[in-house]
This record gives sequence, structure tokens and C-alpha cells, in this order.
Amino acid sequence: MTIPSLSAKTLIIEDFEGMRSVLKGICKTLGITDVEFATNGAGAMAMLSKNRYDIVICDYDLGPGPDGQQVLEEAKSRNYVGYGCVWVIVTAEKTIAMVASAVETKADDYLIKPVSAATLESRLLKLILKKRSFGEIETAVNEHDYQKAIGLCDRLMQSKPSAAADLMRIKADLLLATNDLEGAQALFQSILAKRSVPWAKTGLGKVYFLRQDYERAKHLLSEALDESPVNLEAADWLAKAHEALEEADQAQAVLQRATAVYPKSPVRQKALADTAYRNGDLDVAQSAYESAIKSSENSMHKSASNFADLAKVLAEKDDPREALAVLERGRQEFPDDAQAAVQTAVVKAMACRKMGDRHGAEAAMREAGELIDGLSGALSPGVTIDMAKTLFALGRGDEACSLLKTLVMENHENAALIDKVNSLLDSQHMRDAGKEMVEKSRQEVVDINNKGVLLARNGKFAEAIALLRKAVQRLPNNAVMVGNLCGVLIGSMKKDGKDEEIVMEAKMLLARVSELSPRHPKYHEYMNALVQLG
Amino acid sequence: MGANDIRFTDFIASVIHDMKNSLNMQINGLEQFAAECRSAGNEGLCERLGPLIYEASRMDFNLVQLLSVYKMDNSIYPMDVSEQPVREVIDEAITQMSSMLALRGIHIEVECAPEDCWYFDRDLVTGVLVNALNNAYKYTRDRIRIASRIDGEYLEIRVEDNGSGYPPGMLRDGFSQNRRSNFTTGSTGLGFYFSSLVARMHANADRRGELAIENGGAYGGSCFVVRLP
Repeated sequence: MTIPSLSAKTLIIEDFEGMRSVLKGICKTLGITDVEFATNGAGAMAMLSKNRYDIVICDYDLGPGPDGQQVLEEAKSRNYVGYGCVWVIVTAEKTIAMVASAVETKADDYLIKPVSAATLESRLLKLILKKRSFGEIETAVNEHDYQKAIGLCDRLMQSKPSAAADLMRIKADLLLATNDLEGAQALFQSILAKRSVPWAKTGLGKVYFLRQDYERAKHLLSEALDESPVNLEAADWLAKAHEALEEADQAQAVLQRATAVYPKSPVRQKALADTAYRNGDLDVAQSAYESAIKSSENSMHKSASNFADLAKVLAEKDDPREALAVLERGRQEFPDDAQAAVQTAVVKAMACRKMGDRHGAEAAMREAGELIDGLSGALSPGVTIDMAKTLFALGRGDEACSLLKTLVMENHENAALIDKVNSLLDSQHMRDAGKEMVEKSRQEVVDINNKGVLLARNGKFAEAIALLRKAVQRLPNNAVMVGNLCGVLIGSMKKDGKDEEIVMEAKMLLARVSELSPRHPKYHEYMNALVQLG
Repeated sequence: MGANDIRFTDFIASVIHDMKNSLNMQINGLEQFAAECRSAGNEGLCERLGPLIYEASRMDFNLVQLLSVYKMDNSIYPMDVSEQPVREVIDEAITQMSSMLALRGIHIEVECAPEDCWYFDRDLVTGVLVNALNNAYKYTRDRIRIASRIDGEYLEIRVEDNGSGYPPGMLRDGFSQNRRSNFTTGSTGLGFYFSSLVARMHANADRRGELAIENGGAYGGSCFVVRLP
């Protein structure tokens, strides 16, 4: 049996020469001749970035460097492979870590060695036939036409019942991506009415979480995790639910168990480190930041903030010298990262203060201040708060307050962050004055926003646009404001017709919204409207 | 943890793992060798390699099964219950046994709706079916039938043959007696033990998987029945 129309471009990722030729031989008997090879994770990433493959056969254990899971995860998030690509993992042994990673990355299949030609052949053939039809969905997604993609899922479910399970998962992902929580909930519930399927239970838990029904989310997610301990996505969301319910110890415990199952996820290690740091468990935080740094080498999750966060932990553990060494390492790895430079300077000031070097701390803070002036995007809230803390410690309360004021105005709807600002001010014995300042800043932004939206609703688009443009100029990092201006611009064009310049402006604003707030509720609606306007 | 805390079974498990890796290399090597023989036109040599590959695969299958039992006993087996195409899984189990079945000229028949899917751990259930086929191979005259159906809350797969059926003692004692290995006949009891563990590991709501052996079925011989919720 050969695979129909064998233009199937195939990549084999395998570190053992012997196994490479076995797999190549199997491909040949299948009539697949367009086969390329990579011998390690880094090489595989390079090939995946250059070519579009129809089939990837990837060994799980690739020796030193990234493993098969990391390669697939990276390839997916960089959009090197889409729904139409068949990705099969081969593995020497079925271990918990391996299965957990295959479940998490949604690999199409995994095969345990020795891989027989007959098995690989039959699995590949079925997967190719199944996934060929998914290419259409991928095209719609790439065109941001999510409604069409969802419609395609429904249609294919009817005509291809054998692929229904995959299609339901894709549809669920699309519903969640477009923030159609009701639709997603209905889909998950209809699946769960028949049987307890781990991914659907996790999905429903996620929906409850996003609806801020944290108790229900916690209940479902912990059930999902009990039923299927390899389902680490449930662990991630369960930890978030615990966090939201202020059960920080439980959040940490869940993440510790999940990182024990599969240690090489930089995102999860970072989540664990952040939680442990907040819990004051500096030992766990240190080792998790170290793991995050180690497992994110050669990956898109490689991040300068991991170095700065690790340094912060070390400074607090009374090891400020090691902290400075880590900061230096980070600086060398990320010489051009302006955000990171600010964070590095702030943590350096913290470490210097710990060593009793007031002069060094002052100098580092000056450097941070200068770096901020040259920064194009928003400074992350965490770094801003650290900076304010350090300014307070150095007796520069006024500067600290002005930083915090801007932070509140740029994030006026972020209740958790505002709580943090309040508790910092509280710790500086400025509870009442501080609260008043925070509330006034927040209200100011709310008023401008409301006024703008009201003007637009009454058809006074020109006035609304002028007001919001001015506000966005002042607060370029307020996602709500930027989003509203974008919405008002779109509304004005719906009324008065299309204008090239305004379309451009709205597109730039929307790009900014997604940068500032990756899950902005109106993102897809606006994107759709702009696509329609052309 | 001190050295004394390492249990004997842990040793066995890690040795099995090591043996399995060596065996995998041998199997891959033999298969390559066979392919080279075939392309060089040396069919005779290729045919002689067939039984060697089969025996090595059988060893591998046993080792994998032992390792799975070890992991299930220690609650560290990575259960991966997801929707699986039943027909495909049956076909794969048959493929693993095909050379042996062909050797004795056994006719095999499958009754399974092509679109049927069910939730189970694919590797474990394939293992159960290969065991059942091995068993049927031992007892049959010349026919084996695999029939699957979904009756609402369970998937039932039956492996039947046209032999003279299980001995009465075996039917009476069920699987517990089979756990006693018989070194003279080469019947280790591992297969039944593994299969009953696998059945029990599958659950849905308050229902659990079941395993049964009986005589009768379409051919009036022995029947191996696994039911998964």
C-alpha cells in the first residue's frame, strides 16, 4: 500500500544513525522519497523554519539539548507546523513524562520502538488521510476568518466521523481563541455528557476559570488531573484557580507535582518559581528559575527576566554577589533587550542595597531611570513595582508614587495589580493617602473612557476620536483605552465609509492591543471588521 | 534513600528496560539485514531470518508486558485513555501475529464496524489482543474470529476459535490459577494476568473493565472476552 499523491515532504528527527536509516527505509517502502534528516533538536528547528513539512517523525529522546516535546512545542508556537501536518513521536519507552508531553503538545501519535514498518505505514496512512482535510481549516485560521474555520469543523464532523474527536478539539480551541466562552462550554458539556474525557473536562475547567468561577474551575480541574495525571494542562489551570482563590500553597504544590512529571517545560517552571517566590519559598523559587533558564536554552521561551528574577531571589537569600553574577550572565545573553536592561538595573540596585552599597544602588537606579526614558513599550508591572519598592527603600518616595500612579492609570481595570499597589503603599505607611491617590488615578481613566464611549454611541465620532487619541497619547500602554479608540475608529468608518489612513491607524492600535493584552475580548471582532473593511 | 531501599522488583524492571533496548537494536538490525537480503534477491536467507525476527519480537513483547505490569502494580503506568479506532487496533494486533498465523495456515476473520471508536489505552489493549491471539493460536484448529461491538456502555471484543475449548479446570478456576507459572509447557500466566490488570485499569464513571473466558461462540471453541467501559 502506498500513500496517494506522494508529494509528502518528510522530516525525520533522530539522533541514532541506525534508527535514521530504518525510518528512511520504511518511508521508502511507503513511496515517500522526499525525506530530510535532522540529528538533534536545534538542527530540527532550523529545518522546520525553512521548510513546510507534511510529515515529521521525531524521536522523543534526542540526546543533549531540546527533546522531541520541546521541538514540537516550539514548532507549533512559531507556526512552522499547522493542523495539516502529521507529527509522529517515536520513543524507546512509554514513560509518564513522554505521554504527558505527547498529550500536552497534541502530537498526532506516538509509537514505541521497535517501530515495525507495517505499524508505521498504517498509522501514517490514516493520519495523512485524516489531516489532509484539516488544511482548509488552517487556511481560514491564517486568514483570521475564525467563523469560517469553525463552520468547516462542523461540516467535516458530519462527513468524516472518524476524525470527529480531532475536529472537536480544534473547534474547542477556536471557540476559546475567539473568546466564545458560551460556545466552548456547550461543546465541552456535550462531550462530557457521554463520558469523562480528560481534555474536555480540562477545557470546561478553563472556561469556568475564564468566567472567574474559580471554585467550580478548581473542582473540575482537580478531578481531571486525578483521572489523568499525565494531563498537565489541567495542572497549570488548577494552579491558576488556586492562585485566584488565594490558596497559594496549593498552587505551588500542584505545580511542583507537575514539574516533577515533566521537568523540561520552561513556562511551567517559571510559573512554579513565581508562585514559590510569592510564597516566600526561596529555595524552590531558585531551583525552578534555574530549571526555567536551563530548559529554555535554544527556545523561544528564553527570557532575560528569568535571569533577573533568579538574581532577585539570590539577593533576598542573602547571596547578593551570586545575584550580581547571574545578572551579568543575563546581560551577556540579552545585550539588546531594553526591557531586560531596566529589570537588571533594578535588581542590581536591590542587590547593592543588600550589600550595604548605597552608592551602587543609587547609580543602578539612575541607570534604570535613564533606560526607561528610552523604552518604547510598557515596562512590565512586576518590574515597575520592584522599582517603586527600591525607590521607597532609598528614600525617594515621590518618584515611587509617580511611577505607581502611571502604573495604575495604564492598568486601571486590573484589580489584582491595583491590590498589589495598595499593599505596597500600605507597607510604606501611606495607606490612606495612597488609597486616595490610586482611586483618583483610576477614576480619571474610567471617566475619559466612559465619555469617549458615550460620545461614540451618540454618533459624535469626531469628538470621541479626538478625546481618546489624546488619552492614548498620554497613556499608550492602557490596553482598554487603546482598544476603545480602535473600536471607535472602526465605528466611524462603518458610518462614514472607509478611510485608508484610519484603517492603518486602527490596525496599528489593534496590534498594540494584542501585545498589551493577548486575550483582549474584542480582538477578534475588531480584526474581523478590519478584514471586512480591507 | 539507602542502597537497601532499592527493591528487587525495581532491579528487575531496570534490567528489563536495558534488555529491551538491546533487543530493539537486534530487531532493527535483523530487519535491515532481511531488507538487504530481499533487495539482493536472496529470498532463501530472508525467509530464514523471518522466524528469528519473530522470536525476537516475541521476547520484546513479553518484556514490554512485564514492564507494563511492573508499572501498573506500582501505579506509575502512564495511562493514556483516548478515542481510538477499534478496527485499526485489531488489525495492528493481527499484523503482529501474521507471520505465525500464516505458518499454520490459520484463517482469521474480523467483524467490526469500520467507524467504531472507543476510549482506551491503545498500547495496553493492543497487548491484550496479541495475548488473546497467542492463546487462540494455541487452542484453535484452523480458524480465529475477532468480533467487536459497542453495546451502549461497553466495548466488547471477543477472540474466538474453533478448537476444543478451554479445559474445564481453567474455566472453573478463572484467572487466579493461571498466575501459577508452568515452566514445562512454557505457559507463564503472564498474558492472563496482564490482560486482567489492563481490563481493571479501564474505568468510566463507576464501571470497570472485565475479562472473561468461556467456551462456545460462533465456532464452538474457546472464547476470550474483554469488555471496556
